[in-house]
Amino acid sequence: MPETNYDQEMAFFVDMQRCIGCHACEMACAECETNGQESMIHVNYVDRAKSPQTTVQVCMHCEDPTCANVCPADAIHQDEFGVVHSANTSRCIGCSNCVLACPFGVPKKMEEAELMMKCNMCYDRTSAGKKPMCATVCPSQALYFGTREEIERMRPDSEPVNSFMFGQQEVNTKVNIMMPKGTHQLIIP
Amino acid sequence: MAKLPVSVDKIIDDFGPHKAYAPQTGFHGNSEPDKLVKTHCCYCGMQCGIKLKVKDNKIAGFEPWEEFPFNEGRLCPKGVMRYMQNNHPDRILSPLKRVEGKGFETTDWEHAMSKTVSEIKRIQDTYGKDAFAMLSGVSLTNEKSYMIGKFARVALKTANLDYNGRLCMVSAGGGNKKAFGLDRTSNSWADLKHAEVILVAGANISETFPTLTHYIWQARDNGAKLIVVDPRMIPLARTADLHLPIRPGGDSALFGAMLKIMVDNDWLDHDFIDNYTSGFQETIDAVKDYDLDWAEENTGISKELIYQAAEMWGKANTSFLLHARGIEHHTKGVENVLSCINIVLASGRIGRPYCGYGTITGQGNGQGGREHGHKCDQLPGNRDITNPEHRKYISEVWGIDEKDMPGKGLSAYEQIEAIHRGEIKGMISICFNPLVSLPNNNFVREALEKLEFYICIDTFLSETARHADIVMAGSLHEEEEGTVTTAEGRVVKINEAITPPGNTRRDGQILMELADRLGEKEKFAFPTSEDIFNELRVASKGGTADYYGITYQKVVDNMGIFWPCKTLDHPGTPRLWEDKKFETPDGKAHFNPVSYRPASEMPNKEYPVVLTTGRVVSQYLSGTSTRRIGKLLDQYPEPLLEIHPKLAFQYGIENHDLIKVKTRRGEAEFPAHVVETIREDTVFIPYHWGGKHSANQLTIDSLDPVSKIPEFKVCACQLEKTGKKGSQHLTETAYQSSL
Amino acid sequence: MYRLFKTLNRLALIKATIAAVLTVILVLIGSRNLQNFDPALIAYLIGTVFAIFGIAYRYSVWIQRPPTKLYWRRSMQFLFSKFFFPYLWRSIKLFFRNILFQRFIAFRSRRRWIGHFLLATGCLLAFAITVPLTFGWIHFVLKPGDDTTYYALLFGFEAGSFSLGSPLAFIAFHGLVWSSVLVTIGAVLMMQRRFTDGGLIATQSFENDWLPLILLIAISVTGLGISYDYTFLEGKTYQFMAVTHAITVILFLVWLPFGKFFHIYQRLAQLGANLYKTEGRRRGMAVCPHTKDEFATQTHIEDLKKVTNELGFDYSKTNGRNHLDLSPEGKRSALAMAHLQARQKQGKFFG
Repeated sequence: MPETNYDQEMAFFVDMQRCIGCHACEMACAECETNGQESMIHVNYVDRAKSPQTTVQVCMHCEDPTCANVCPADAIHQDEFGVVHSANTSRCIGCSNCVLACPFGVPKKMEEAELMMKCNMCYDRTSAGKKPMCATVCPSQALYFGTREEIERMRPDSEPVNSFMFGQQEVNTKVNIMMPKGTHQLIIP
Repeated sequence: MAKLPVSVDKIIDDFGPHKAYAPQTGFHGNSEPDKLVKTHCCYCGMQCGIKLKVKDNKIAGFEPWEEFPFNEGRLCPKGVMRYMQNNHPDRILSPLKRVEGKGFETTDWEHAMSKTVSEIKRIQDTYGKDAFAMLSGVSLTNEKSYMIGKFARVALKTANLDYNGRLCMVSAGGGNKKAFGLDRTSNSWADLKHAEVILVAGANISETFPTLTHYIWQARDNGAKLIVVDPRMIPLARTADLHLPIRPGGDSALFGAMLKIMVDNDWLDHDFIDNYTSGFQETIDAVKDYDLDWAEENTGISKELIYQAAEMWGKANTSFLLHARGIEHHTKGVENVLSCINIVLASGRIGRPYCGYGTITGQGNGQGGREHGHKCDQLPGNRDITNPEHRKYISEVWGIDEKDMPGKGLSAYEQIEAIHRGEIKGMISICFNPLVSLPNNNFVREALEKLEFYICIDTFLSETARHADIVMAGSLHEEEEGTVTTAEGRVVKINEAITPPGNTRRDGQILMELADRLGEKEKFAFPTSEDIFNELRVASKGGTADYYGITYQKVVDNMGIFWPCKTLDHPGTPRLWEDKKFETPDGKAHFNPVSYRPASEMPNKEYPVVLTTGRVVSQYLSGTSTRRIGKLLDQYPEPLLEIHPKLAFQYGIENHDLIKVKTRRGEAEFPAHVVETIREDTVFIPYHWGGKHSANQLTIDSLDPVSKIPEFKVCACQLEKTGKKGSQHLTETAYQSSL
Repeated sequence: MYRLFKTLNRLALIKATIAAVLTVILVLIGSRNLQNFDPALIAYLIGTVFAIFGIAYRYSVWIQRPPTKLYWRRSMQFLFSKFFFPYLWRSIKLFFRNILFQRFIAFRSRRRWIGHFLLATGCLLAFAITVPLTFGWIHFVLKPGDDTTYYALLFGFEAGSFSLGSPLAFIAFHGLVWSSVLVTIGAVLMMQRRFTDGGLIATQSFENDWLPLILLIAISVTGLGISYDYTFLEGKTYQFMAVTHAITVILFLVWLPFGKFFHIYQRLAQLGANLYKTEGRRRGMAVCPHTKDEFATQTHIEDLKKVTNELGFDYSKTNGRNHLDLSPEGKRSALAMAHLQARQKQGKFFG
């Protein structure tokens, strides 16, 4: 059975202010073999009429994933590395609970296939010691996959933050967002 | 003869563009390829390293090449999807002949070759050698570019050879030659990393050179300030320290004014200016009246911003100035470039670490392709075809009599004009789609229809190829070995991943057979691409673009070698001018006085709005390949008219409204994209499309007097509401591309 | 042991016991007090009763989870509403389309659908044959004086007849052979994917993905072995074939409630989810305050707020709004805007 070389030293860092909205990650994501030509990453304009700002969203791999909690079919599994996997295809009933409950807006419902799919951090690649497709190709390095030490050296004025406040709810994640130095939480008003 | 043989719809049915997608689980062998071939992306001048997956002599996918030093695996969406061409259903798999009333039918190589050669001979015997012209492109390797230069002069014996680099970086080349005596970006991109100030003028890096973004962001991580000069708030400009939203065409006014501010504040490197440059006094005399009020009026940028930019630039210790087509696609393209070089020379920040200047070459081999002789005025090694010594040297290398070497020919657009006038009667083209990429393309179409015989070598039936009498099925980037020179001057190796499919041939093979049939077999006896390169090395020896010291082995071992590289033991030159010895006749860098003048067509009462054109990230140039790749087209399915809400309000235009844009040359309809990220007096349309979607129906065909580049970036237009809405389905994804 | 009892779900235990007892009662009734029961099948019977106990237990535990309970309650509420007939009709159609024919799988991959359809059809057919036989609900007899006509007894009542040697008899008596063949082809197709698809290779596990396929093939092959034995070997290897088959089947039955096969029962919830959406649409759509587009049913959003609360999440905001009112795109934009603000406040985007 699959041997895993998942390197827990490696972590995912996102800085959406670096994103140039090119969609390279989206194209590359579809090349990841776990999702068969479907792209799991989201790139969208925040308000195109006013600004070219785009945002890029991978699955944040929450420590206590809302998606898995609200799944009526127990289809979402978190493994020993903290990777929250895409829906188990035999169990998922396509109800969209996860799609609507995820605070980051990550899971996608494949309507006709009655299946939810989401980013699993390119498990075919990360479990083989490689980097996820999106972070490998990202030309602006808004998506970075490497060690915490590396990113702290490259971006000394930023701080990897993995805690979020959505309303009253604190969410802690495996994936980090690069925030101004000294910030410990991103509060979404 | 070159009118379309059947309706355009029938041709599109047969040859596309059709959107292609990979199968749901990827191409066969994607999981277990036979081999991974290290090569480069076929698109822009970044030439990112990439590994192609090959299964059963077909491209099955890609894998990032993380060891390649420039991009370390990073790619843009075009790079990710470039693997989709080889398996494409629209691919021309055999030579085609035009059949009146039917379209294009498959033919054999014998017919294609013999017909072509007999027509070349007929036309040249009847109208003279120069009545048969050749147009080429710089997505081709150095080897092909070199061979085409030789082919046109030695086998076709025509003076009229030019290339699509004429629409690309000729203004930069003209400016660089005047100022430095050599045409190359002065530094490798590595010098961006610790530059204190980066000034980007007319270069939509985030969409046209996305992988260069990392270098700029890295510099900013290290504290660099970023100044972006662009009429639109491009993604790069959103977080920039200064965004100067310039009125299209105001570039030399801006840089002239900045130079004056530098002089007034003595933000100058006197030592450098005095010892290593010439022409400073005349140059600053030319801008002495360019005060801030004048500058604000002529650039459309506020005084404060201009001053801040000049101060930021003037006071820096290290800096890098980058420009691209935004300042070069003008009737004063060369002047704009020179005005940039002037502020670089005044700062003295060149030839040192993190002190750089350069144009960002657009096409894959825009750099190498413009050095080895497929420009109408050029011979290999960036030599001058009118220079007797240069002619003599190359004639010797080629084994011809110098008297038989044709002289300077017509540039690309001038060739079209000559066809229109009836002076050029036949043409062969490769890797060029003038019907989409040249300005005022209704005129171009008329010209094509007047050709007596037209042969096109291509991989897909482009809009221009539809007018051909014979289409020769050529090779893709991954189907022929060679080298290209990236925008930073790095010569890299393109590897043959697969052999050409079906009844297609390598471009080199096609040209060699044509040369053979034209009676010049022995001069084109190149068993391998490396043999061509070795001849190129000799031909470039002693020229400014000297490749003599570069070999295939050296390129592979070092993952690229920067020219000039004059001897075999030389490691190459990533940074120019460290010795402050320039390639000009007097060895100094030249300031060139630039007086601002308006664009050839300024807005007036009748045509009140400025129209500018450019690119989007998911498409490449005339779109011959990228408009066939489903996911790339889906990202931006049709050209939109970007317009500011205030201008839109004047016309009562809302998002998605279909707008008729009219110029003195033509009219076309585009859905409005109402955004605050463009100047209020300017509208923007991307130019990648053909037919009724083509922005170049509207653009103006006036040329820069020196570089002969057309003025794609400024013309005057009218806007008219049609009362219709753009196709919601098509445009939605482009407005909001989250799928 | 103590832990096990402590974690036992009392309600589920009661329900499961009732289900098991009911089954036994039905066996007694259906087989006319074991009169029609085939003693050779006793091991299978015990296995099946255990499986029913297990499935009922697990099902009951499953629908006690807040999101499942909600779907269950809502499905019942919406079905038994004034739209009973249209909704019932819709559910029946979907039952055929998505449960019996599993058409939704075709949109994941065509080959995969073919594999799964063969596999599932084989299994369902086999259940339909073996369960009534094991329970003694169906029983075949020859009537005295007529040794060419078989009579089928259902719950002890005569329910049909067919003559021996007729094509109908051939088909009926070889029903399990046909299902074995279907299951084997299907399982092999499904296995093939697991050998070649890089994505599956990376994420599959032995117990959840390979074991079920291996077990199904083992049941089919050993079952075919019994047929082969009495058709061609005159029962010489019957003992061996029968024992190996019994072992694989009982393993399967014991594992049915816990492993991968539980999805067969879970799948029915897809009908409920569909009904939920249909009725939700009728009641009104939620509009995302950011994109201004409809993105889900308002019922769904409101229910999710409750369910997440029950599960210990609170996405409500102090201003009375709720993060869950945003569409997925709205949420992503909200995060991006908050991030932009934080960066702007710092005055630095980089470094």
